[in-house]
This record gives sequence, C-alpha cells and structure tokens, in this order.
Amino acid sequence: MDNLSVVGKRVERVDVRAKVTGGAVYAADVQMAGMLYGKIVRCYDYAHARVTGLDLSKAAKCKGVIKVLGPKDVTQKEYNGSVLDMMVSADMRGMLGDIDDQSIFTSHVKHYGDAIAAVIATSEEAAERAAEKIIVSYEELPVYLTAEAAKQPDAVQFRPEKPGNLAFQLPEMAFPDNAYAWGEVDKSFEEADIIVEDTFYVPKQKQCQMEPGAYIALYDDQERLNCWTSTQMPKLVQKKLANLFELPMTRVKINSTVIGGGFGARLGMVLEPETCALAMAVPGRPVKVLSTREEDWVTSPSRHPGKYWMKMGFKKDGTPVACDAKFENYKGAYYVDASGTAFTTGAWLGGMYKFDSLRYRGESYYTNQSICGAFRGYGNPQTNFVMEQMVDRGCAALGVDPIEWRKKWHKTIGDDGWCMGVPYNSCALDECLDRAAKAIGWTEKRAKYKNQTGTIRRGIGVSVMNHTSGAMPMLLEHTVCDALLHQDATVTLNLACSDMGQGSHTTLRQIAAETLGFPYEDIHIATGDTDAAGFDIGAHASRTLYVGGGAVKQACEDVRKQIFDRAALELGETVDNLYMEDKIIHVKGASNKSISVLTIADQGVNNFMNPENGELIGQPGQIQGYASFFPPHNAPPFGASIAEVAVDMETGEVKVIELVNAHDVGRAIHPGIVEGQLDGGAQQGLGMALTEETYYDDKGICLNNSFTDYKMLGPSDMPKMTNILVENPDPTGPFGAKGVGEAGIVPPVGATANAIFNAIGIQILEAPITPEKILKALAEKSGSKA
Amino acid sequence: MKKHAITLTVNGEERDLLVSSNRTLLDALRDDLGYTDTKYGCGTGECGACTILVDGMTTINGCLTLAATMNGKSITTAAGLARNGHLHPVQEAFIENDAIQCGFCTPGMVLKTISLLDENPAPTEAEIRHGLEGNICRCTGYTKIVEAVQDASRRISGSNTSAMGE
Repeated sequence: MDNLSVVGKRVERVDVRAKVTGGAVYAADVQMAGMLYGKIVRCYDYAHARVTGLDLSKAAKCKGVIKVLGPKDVTQKEYNGSVLDMMVSADMRGMLGDIDDQSIFTSHVKHYGDAIAAVIATSEEAAERAAEKIIVSYEELPVYLTAEAAKQPDAVQFRPEKPGNLAFQLPEMAFPDNAYAWGEVDKSFEEADIIVEDTFYVPKQKQCQMEPGAYIALYDDQERLNCWTSTQMPKLVQKKLANLFELPMTRVKINSTVIGGGFGARLGMVLEPETCALAMAVPGRPVKVLSTREEDWVTSPSRHPGKYWMKMGFKKDGTPVACDAKFENYKGAYYVDASGTAFTTGAWLGGMYKFDSLRYRGESYYTNQSICGAFRGYGNPQTNFVMEQMVDRGCAALGVDPIEWRKKWHKTIGDDGWCMGVPYNSCALDECLDRAAKAIGWTEKRAKYKNQTGTIRRGIGVSVMNHTSGAMPMLLEHTVCDALLHQDATVTLNLACSDMGQGSHTTLRQIAAETLGFPYEDIHIATGDTDAAGFDIGAHASRTLYVGGGAVKQACEDVRKQIFDRAALELGETVDNLYMEDKIIHVKGASNKSISVLTIADQGVNNFMNPENGELIGQPGQIQGYASFFPPHNAPPFGASIAEVAVDMETGEVKVIELVNAHDVGRAIHPGIVEGQLDGGAQQGLGMALTEETYYDDKGICLNNSFTDYKMLGPSDMPKMTNILVENPDPTGPFGAKGVGEAGIVPPVGATANAIFNAIGIQILEAPITPEKILKALAEKSGSKA
Repeated sequence: MKKHAITLTVNGEERDLLVSSNRTLLDALRDDLGYTDTKYGCGTGECGACTILVDGMTTINGCLTLAATMNGKSITTAAGLARNGHLHPVQEAFIENDAIQCGFCTPGMVLKTISLLDENPAPTEAEIRHGLEGNICRCTGYTKIVEAVQDASRRISGSNTSAMGE
C-alpha cells in the first residue's frame, strides 16, 4: 500500500493556473449574445406580511424592460430547494414529512428578502431601475424569531400541514418517543453521581463563500431548459428543475461553472428556480440573475441556530451513564433541510461517547428569518459547542483531565457509529489526542494556568469530533464514472462530481493515475455537463473523495483489467504472469516479451486488417471503464483540536493564541489539500465560537447581511496553527482515504469554548462568545459572590 | 445620465470607452471591456476581490472607484501579469504553496501581494497579515496565503527583479 507514486504527493492542482490568472469562468463571468438581465423584487420592509397589492404597470413601461413577472406569471408549483427528499426512499420521504413550501414569487412574505416579483430587461441597470417602480402594499403580520415565539398557540401558521409551526420533529414511527435513543435514560441518571445540565444557544452562522450567487438560464429553440450555475449538486438540481417545470430530464441541462466556494450554501437549488422561471417567460433569450452580496446572504441557507439543552450524568469513576439532549432550531421561513439537520445534530452526539444510554430530540420550528440548510458540519459544530462544554464541566466536577477522560470514553472501532447499527471500522482518535497534546504542551500549560490572577488570563481547551465520509446509510450514496482510454493511452474521466474549491478534481485525478499506474498528467477530468455525466449526488457530507474516489477507482480498475486482458492475449500469457512498468506490460521473468499500453490503446481505436492474412492486428474496440458505485460504508473521520486563548478580564476580548488540529484522515491523498481543508475549517470554526452571527432586529430585519457588519476572523486574527495528519488507512476508503471537507470546522468550536472556560472558570452558554457575553458572565459571577 | 469618454490602458492595451457618471470601474472592466478576472464579491470595498493595480503599484477597489475618474490611467489585472509566457513570481508562489482553493479571491489577493511586496520587499509575518486585511479569503484560513507571500518575497529578492517581475 505504501508503494504509491501519485497518491500522497503534492501535485499541482488541476485548476490553479486558470484561477491565478483570473481565467477560471465563474457563473457571473459567462457572457452570451442577446443576454437579458433579471432583477428580483424582494421585500425588505417586513419579515412577515401578506401582499395586499402589486402594481407592475409602471415598471413595465420603463426603458429596456422586456417583461415584468408577478406570482401568477410563473409556475404555481411549489418546491423545496433542498435535495434531501431526493436522497431517501419514497417511504422514508413520507415518514419524514418533507414538504414543498417554496414558491417562485410569494404573496405571503415570511422573511426579510422574500421574493415578490421580477423584471427582465436588456441591462442590469435597466432591470434595477424598473424593479424600483414596482409598487407593493403589505399587511404586516406578527414576527416570530424563536421557536418559543413560533409555537405560541395563537401564532400565524406558516403551513397548514405543519401545526404549531413545528416543521419537523423526529417521527414517532422510526424514533419512538420522538427521540434518537438507546438504553433507558431516566433510569441511567439514577445511577449518576454527578449530573451537569444547561441550555445553550448556537448561532445563525453564514457560509460567506466569496462568490455571490450568479445564474443564467436559457429555454432554447429545442425547448430545452439550460442553466449555468455554480451549484454543488448538478445532477440533483437537474432533476429538481425537471420536476418543478414538468420536463423530462433530457430537456434540462445544468452547465456547472467554476464554484467560488460552497460550504453548503450551494447545496440544492438557490435562485435556479427563479432564474429558470424568468427564462421560460422569454424563450430563446438567455437571462442572467446576479445576486448582490446582501441578497445572497438572505436567499441562500445559513447554519441552523437555536436552543440546545443538554444533561449528562457520570459515575464517580468517570463512567458516562446518561446523556439527554434537545435541539430546538429556528428553521427560518421555509422547510428546506428541516429534517436532515434536526437528525444529524443528534447523530454526531450519539456517535461520540460510550454513554450507557442516550436520548436526543430534534425539532425544527418555522421562524421569520432566512432559510437554514446545509453548512459545513451539518449540525456537528452546534453539537460540538454544547457537548464538549458539558463534558468539560463533567471533567471539572470529577477532577479528571479532559484529554484522559475523552481517550477513555470516546467510541471507537466496533462501537455503533453516528448511525446506530453501522459500527465504526477505523478510528485513530487516541493518536490524534496524544500528538495534539504533545504539540501544544497540554500538561504543562494546564498546570500553569491554574489559579491565575491579573487582567490577561490564559486558558487551554480540547475538543474531539466524529464525522462521516458520505451520508450512507442515512441518505443515498451513488456516483457514476466512466473512464475512456484514448488512442494515445491517456484517459478522460467523465463524472458529475463538482469541485467547489476543496480540490476534489485534483484528488480524483490522483486516484485515477495511481489505480491505472499512469502519470498524473495522463488523466483529464471532464465534468460540468449533466447531458454527458451519469448520476452523482453532488458535493456534500465530505463525500466526494470517498464516494467519487471509489467510483473513479472502480472505473479505472475496469480499464486496467481490459488492458491486461488484451495484453495477455497478444503475449500469449495469463494475466497473473504480467506486470506493468512505465505503461509497458511485461511478462514476469521474460525481459524480451512486452507490449505497450499505447499499442493496445491505439489498436483498439485504429484497428486494421493484416492484408496478407486477413486477420485483425491487435484487439479492436476502444477501452472504456465504467462504475456505478455505491460505497460500502462511511469511513468515519475523527479529529481533535486544542486551543489556547488569552482573555482580557477588563474588556472581555478573547485572543486565540494557538490552535493545534490533529485529524484521522485515513490517508492524505494530497497533503496540501488536506491541510487547506483543516486551515479553512478552523477559520470558520473559530468564527462560530467567537464572532459570527447573523443578527435581526425585533421586526426581523436583518442587521448584518454584509462583510462590513458581519465579523469573520481576518488574517491578523488567526492564531498560530498546526495541523497533524494522522494516517490510519480506512479499510473501505480509496487508498484508505476518509473525507475531510467538514472535519476541520468542528473541533475548534468546542476547543475555543473550553479554553475560555479554563481561563476564566465560567462557561459561556451562547455562541458566538463575544466580549459583551464574557463581561456579563464575569459581572454575574462577582455579583453572586458579593 | 451624463456619459464620459475615457481612455484606459488595461494590461498594456489602450481601450476607449463611454461610461455613465455612476459606472464603477469594476463594471466597466467586467462588462464593457470583458476583464472578468476582476471579481465582484461585496460591492462595498470590504472583500478585496476587485483589487486592481493602478499606475504601477497602487491597489484600489474597482467597486468603489468610478470609471469616469480613471481617464488616462494604466490598470493591471491578474490576467495581465504573465511575461513571455511565464507567470509572475507571486502567481507561481500561490500555486506552489497551495494557497488557492476556490480561487475567487485569488486575483485580488495576488495583486495585493504584488503591491505589498513592492512597498516592503521583506515583510514580517505580522506585516503580511496586516497588509492582507482588506482581502477576504473564506477557504484557506490565510495560512497558506501567508506562506505564499513569504515565498514570493524570497523569489523576487532572489531574482533581483522588481515586484512587477521585470
């Protein structure tokens, strides 16, 4: 396994030359003859209102306007922008209760920025000017910004089929008592010597991918709907649009443009439905819809915020006997991922520690905020903030070292994973913890930071996580890949896996080269065309390397087998007596007997008859490998972070001094790409812990949907960072690899919170942990002492 | 709205165009002249995706600059950095240090780095981080970008060329 020539190397990424010169084409960069521009009219006056009047007439008369569209001028079908409903069976779909509750344009405004109407014009400026002339009158409705508010008995109902504005709770049919659970929790608590319990708040964090939404659609003269978009999920968006506009899939084509960051914000449909609806209204003309940053913020999904209650019980010897938890999330205006996140938030909790019994309830309530959906980690950062603080509170009460406790009680190989019934098949978390502790000097610093006085207090905290590579068995996992051997013995892979910047096209190419025994340069990846590519779920759940890589490996093994079969025929040998070196196939022990892959590939395409004897020269037929790959497992990545902070007791400011991340990545196919995932994940995880939240006023008006007012950690805010890659090959991953796309964001969240706890002796229950919250907590503590 | 006839030199090529008073340089470059390597990220000067070089080494945000005020100026975008078929050393450093993920901030980040190294050819890590504060990257956590800038500094001083690679 370690005799690898391409895997594990820091090869040049496939797309960087185009990106560094600005030549990479993102959706907004696409220009076409006859392009029209769409501007969507949104409600920025209210977060909850009924539209009582809509006057489009003035806008229609504006210069350059081609068409003005209201709710009745587009399809009346409702949809669900999320793709979760396409990744479960019909039975499961019915049981989960996923619904279609979004419409292209609405007359019931449910959040700041909801879409009312649109203008199509000859220029962006003309469309914007006309959009300002659309007159909308509203009847204001009460605004609900929390689950508590939304579930009041007299609250306006968002959907008749979801009474109490409860969009989702774990269904009784599959989850008795509406809980994801094992053991008897109430009984187990009776055995506990120490019980810790609290209610936390996790924030509405935004992905802030650098490329704002941009879309182009064209209903062409063959009556095909074409859409150019930087979606993470081209094949599912193709099917979703086909369903919405009642077209066969053969008449819908997604052209994937280069993706300027995703992190979940492009998972499923965002403004593809609106853009396509505009294009359907002007057949033959391409229509471009560009979101401003502010608009992208409130139309693409955010992380699920909400209240997260948790209670843990321990025996005196540290045995974790029971964990009980409930996450009531503030879902936002539409259903989207209401079921998925409500479940996985508990799945990550259940997957971490060996509690005798555990019970988790997840509920999603409609609220008057922008939609919540997928965001890197998918419930895991929320669980990490709460679970890891509760564990550290338990450890403090027990008087045990938080790392020692975690090493003793985390789940490992053979234990039930995040999905019960699917045990973990690999785990190197102990090594992650040991190496991270050593790298940062855990033992010394933990001792040193006891009983500090003074204005600046140091603290050090740890956090661990489990995650997944692909969503099997919860959701469908499937990627199709074909690998075509050209006559010059190079290979084109054709598959729909998207690369949103994480580097998957590079690592997939490495896997192909390694499997074939070809140089990296001999492989090309063709993607981005749903007409050409077979099925693929899309980029989510840290799956592309694991599932896409599995498909690539299988398709390339098929090519290799066909090459060897032909070589055996040509050389008059059996396959197991052959080996390949530098693309020449030799017979073992017979140095003069060989045939090149080039000869086999060329004869497969350019096949001629020998004029002397009428026989074919070589074996005819172009070699093509194929895989329709369903992964056998979900190769769980594990990880640990240790953070060191300095807290200013007078100002409440927190400075992260150092962060060490140690991750069980299975195998680093490209170490630079893995490090990049951990680095970038850490910036987002630290941000969730310390600064990032989308705020609303009490009327539901968004206050900080811009980079000016939403604080992300900048270059000077980032701590000294060390990444430790623990390579413990997973038995099911391609060359042992696990997915690392999401892992990096998770443990910095809890590690930062625990470091603050270590520094000031108080746990801050609401993220982000801002200076105001620290000062308030310090004041309350000194007040209670007085 | 009043139109202004202006001449810009973009990546060494002289271009005449007619712009409204309120046309931003970013829109003029992208939509009127086709330089889509300059990106729209926020429109409010916060993210730096539209960073360009003006008259040599000064960086400005294209989204905050009115095109009409730029008559006679010389502008460099990421597409104009290569010389004789070779990328600029800063571009090479970004590639070799894995400092590029989604790539959307990259053109602005590269141009900002060129300006930074022109002002301070051997910056400390803190100076680099401070210098990049106006350019947001959401993918890399800045680690590898900082390493790329350090590497670029070594490359440029090692080859005794100016930051423009000439």
